[in-house]
Amino acid sequence: MPSRRASTRRAVVRLAAPAALCVALSACSLIGTGSVEPPKAGTGKASGSVTVWDYYGSATPIKPAIAAFEKAHPEIKVNYQAYDYDTMQDKLSVSISSGSAPDLATADMTWVPTYAANGALADLSKISGGKVNGQPIEEQYTPGGLAAMSYQDHYVTALYDFDAYALYYRKDILDKKHLQVPKTWDELRSVSAAMAEDTNGDGKPDKYALQVLPDTFHYAQLLFQNGGAILSPDQSKAAFGSTAGVSALEYMKSLLTSGGGLYWGVEQGDSTGLPGIKDERIGMFLNGPYMMGVLKDGAKEQSGRWAVAPAPYSQQPGSYLGGTGLVIPTSAPNPSAAWVLAQFLLQPKQQELVYTKAGAAPATTAALASPVLSAPDPYFGGVSEFPVFRTAMSTASPFPYVASWPDIDTALTDAVTAVLINKATPGQALDKAASRVDSALAR
Amino acid sequence: MLIAPALLFSGAFFFLPMALSLLWSFTDYNGLQPFTWAGLANYTDLLSDPVFLRACWNTVVFGVVTMTIGPLLGLLSALMLNQRIPARAFFRAVYFVPVTTSLVVVSTMWKMLLNDQGLLNKLIVAVGLQPHDWLSDPGTALYAVSAASIWQGFGFETVVFLAALQSLPSELYDASAVDGAGPIHQFWHITLPGLRPTMVFVYVVGIIGAFQAFDQVFVMTQGGPINSTTTVVYYLVQRFQALDLGHASATAYLLVLTLGLLSFIQLRLGKRFA
Repeated sequence: MPSRRASTRRAVVRLAAPAALCVALSACSLIGTGSVEPPKAGTGKASGSVTVWDYYGSATPIKPAIAAFEKAHPEIKVNYQAYDYDTMQDKLSVSISSGSAPDLATADMTWVPTYAANGALADLSKISGGKVNGQPIEEQYTPGGLAAMSYQDHYVTALYDFDAYALYYRKDILDKKHLQVPKTWDELRSVSAAMAEDTNGDGKPDKYALQVLPDTFHYAQLLFQNGGAILSPDQSKAAFGSTAGVSALEYMKSLLTSGGGLYWGVEQGDSTGLPGIKDERIGMFLNGPYMMGVLKDGAKEQSGRWAVAPAPYSQQPGSYLGGTGLVIPTSAPNPSAAWVLAQFLLQPKQQELVYTKAGAAPATTAALASPVLSAPDPYFGGVSEFPVFRTAMSTASPFPYVASWPDIDTALTDAVTAVLINKATPGQALDKAASRVDSALAR
Repeated sequence: MLIAPALLFSGAFFFLPMALSLLWSFTDYNGLQPFTWAGLANYTDLLSDPVFLRACWNTVVFGVVTMTIGPLLGLLSALMLNQRIPARAFFRAVYFVPVTTSLVVVSTMWKMLLNDQGLLNKLIVAVGLQPHDWLSDPGTALYAVSAASIWQGFGFETVVFLAALQSLPSELYDASAVDGAGPIHQFWHITLPGLRPTMVFVYVVGIIGAFQAFDQVFVMTQGGPINSTTTVVYYLVQRFQALDLGHASATAYLLVLTLGLLSFIQLRLGKRFA
């Protein structure tokens, strides 16, 4: 039996763990009281080494492009480092605060608001001189893409792949039941109810249901389609508690109560819904182009059964616009060379790799027009479904660029969850969330 | 000179970061920009933040549930394994296996068990009852997470209690038997008093561990639904991920103070009753 002294010592060591945890998370930033250096904008020909951080994983489109880049730019040596998506944000934050940031990094567009609002991202308008591969940036992206890349009238990221939602559905089941592809909210509700089956009689659909995810992304789509906004125009107050916001959430709830929706919470373990797709609990879902790759890899046996259509809407088409951006931290040692690499990755040939390697959607207009993306896809019955996402992108909107975005995201997710599991009415839940959001914005 | 390397190491990687974290808890530091002094604002913000208060309540409930059932199961299994039963070594090993398994693995396994399509619901349906969404229901999610933690941890308590049981002098039992004491009397008047220091150890370590619960929450529920499983440490990590190091540090120090106070009380009580 350990002595009391030993147990006390062990207890003291464990007691210190919370503080140690907090500091360990940011231990690398001991010296970094956070002064952010201004970007060293490129003057003259870029050279030297470039450290690039990539979160794509084994299906990365970046790594295969490195050899070609070094051949085309022998004066620049690339130090490629692969990270996993789940931990990349923490690592990037710590590296930025400690002054050891990479020169170039992939960043989820939902992370960009916090970094941009804190001045952690270099001004790409300045570094680029307003051009990508010799063409004005404005000609390289759709208006939605440009809006997603902008913060306070300058570009802080270069959109590399995009995410905008469309409707995936089991075409074979829809055809078998003689149902039409839904185009409006009402049609989506009635078609999903007609398509879904309750095989075990527990009152909930367990076959071919519409996946209903309790998150900000899916609620935001309905909100935007209903003419609502997340924040007020000056970004100082929550705006989702409007009539448009409440009715969007009421509609989301009605997808479940109509008998066609399947609640897909965190406990399901996979937000893509792949387990439910494979065992056919899910027959319809709203998601981005990356799901084409997920389906092809994860549900090969369902080849030829799926199709994609524009997301049904109420007043206007709409979606959240996200994806992956290429960012250059303000403290990057070699921003000029990093921009050379970024431009290379944004060339159509490299952008095609986003689609062919990662199964995601390249973001530049030149790449969007690539014949590779429009080629008939055997998985989707010989139809090219990519143009649907191209159209979705044109009406999609990015999330607000405010430092407290993580708090807004959490508050909205809580509100949506509370409504979908019958713990609050839409009005109550959104009022509560608005109060949290207003407090976070005030901080 | 001999302890200089250890002192340097502790100073650089333990005490200095702790001091910096204490400093940050009084600032609006976000890790990216120079901080400004915020006084006690982070602490007062926390005490008026409903999510933080919910996290505190969840942590207390989690601690009470796991530290009530866990040690009890540990003691019962230790008493059983202290008897001359067949395959005793096998059972000792089996009870300890979950302790050696990663909490992430255990949590993933329990998440699959408790899923709406999981084994537990299949068993419930098989006996004619209605299935339940254990992890989607805010009323049951925290208890589901607690169950996984108890299952993973009680093997440790079993081993500690077993070691303590085996160190109790057999003469006491022999003498009490001569005086006519039965097993129940022996348990209340010899075994339980003899285990008091061990209990203090188990509770001090267990409560500190319970108050630092994170892995199982992260894997099983990510703090949801509607913050019903958000613990203080999970909240702290969320604040860090939001680059809100001021509130994250203040949370850490509130937790340190709470655990310090609890441990002090436990140790004093342990001393008094030993």
